[in-house]
Amino acid sequence: MCGVCGCGSDAPVAHEVVHAHRHAGHGARRLEVEASLLAHNRAHAEQLAERLAARGIDAIGLVGGPGAGKTALLEATLGRLGADAAREAVVEGDCATDYDARRVAAKGARVVQVATGSLCHLDAHLVGHALASLDLDGVRRVWIENVGNLVCPAAFPCGERRRVALVSVPEGDDKPEKYPALFAGVDLLVISKSDLLPHVDFDVARCIDGARRVSAGLPALVLSARTGEGLGAWLDWVGR
Amino acid sequence: MHEAGLCVSLVELAERHADAAGAARIVSVGVAVGDLSGVVPEALALAFPLCAAGTRADGAALRIERIAGRDFLLRDLEVE
Repeated sequence: MCGVCGCGSDAPVAHEVVHAHRHAGHGARRLEVEASLLAHNRAHAEQLAERLAARGIDAIGLVGGPGAGKTALLEATLGRLGADAAREAVVEGDCATDYDARRVAAKGARVVQVATGSLCHLDAHLVGHALASLDLDGVRRVWIENVGNLVCPAAFPCGERRRVALVSVPEGDDKPEKYPALFAGVDLLVISKSDLLPHVDFDVARCIDGARRVSAGLPALVLSARTGEGLGAWLDWVGR
Repeated sequence: MHEAGLCVSLVELAERHADAAGAARIVSVGVAVGDLSGVVPEALALAFPLCAAGTRADGAALRIERIAGRDFLLRDLEVE
């Protein structure tokens, strides 16, 4: 049996009520199930979050489109942490390659790459198994960098305690309005690549308002991993 | 496009319930798809027969009910 989640065991999925009754007149029976397939992942996510919290480990999820600057923000964050970067663990999700894992490892973090193949998001089950391959002794925080995607990760919490959505300035200020489900489920909006603001038509206020339409009072930060603008406030939010 | 992954979970869950009921074959699978679930019914219908192939649900019909909200449910099975 799997030590992470019990998969491969006969353990029943929680919160299912099953009762069968025969229908007269034909051989087929109807089984009433009423089980949520998304609740299964949510239960995994809650268990993972609890396991990490019990060890005093914080967990932050990063979501955003491909190229939003998720890995760059991680690199900059680890750079600011200096020697403490060795106490950060990272789960990198991508459809293919270990490019991001190499970038983050170069900054001193413990990292595991999950190549999801054609799967468009990470889920709590994948993250739990990935973390089992890392030595978490002495780790104070786990970062979960999701597959670059503004749609699918919304439905799959991954065990993070807080989730951050990134919108990079070149992507456009209308992204929160176009992909509301993702922004409805996050704890912070980061507007990244702020050094490019002079070169593109990006209305910071519109972007923040769009996100707050689905997530009232959502905190927002404007930053640039390249220039370091806004990283102080970001690190304050993260908790140094 | 995560319907394929969800379909694998759906078939696994359906098979588990069929096994528990001592059923040899799953004739049809009833699901409910929330409009905010991020699950696209058309993609689900496309992925289901592929994921069901070679399982107890091979050839089973998929019945899709659209509901409000964020959830994606396995409602019921017809088995024999």
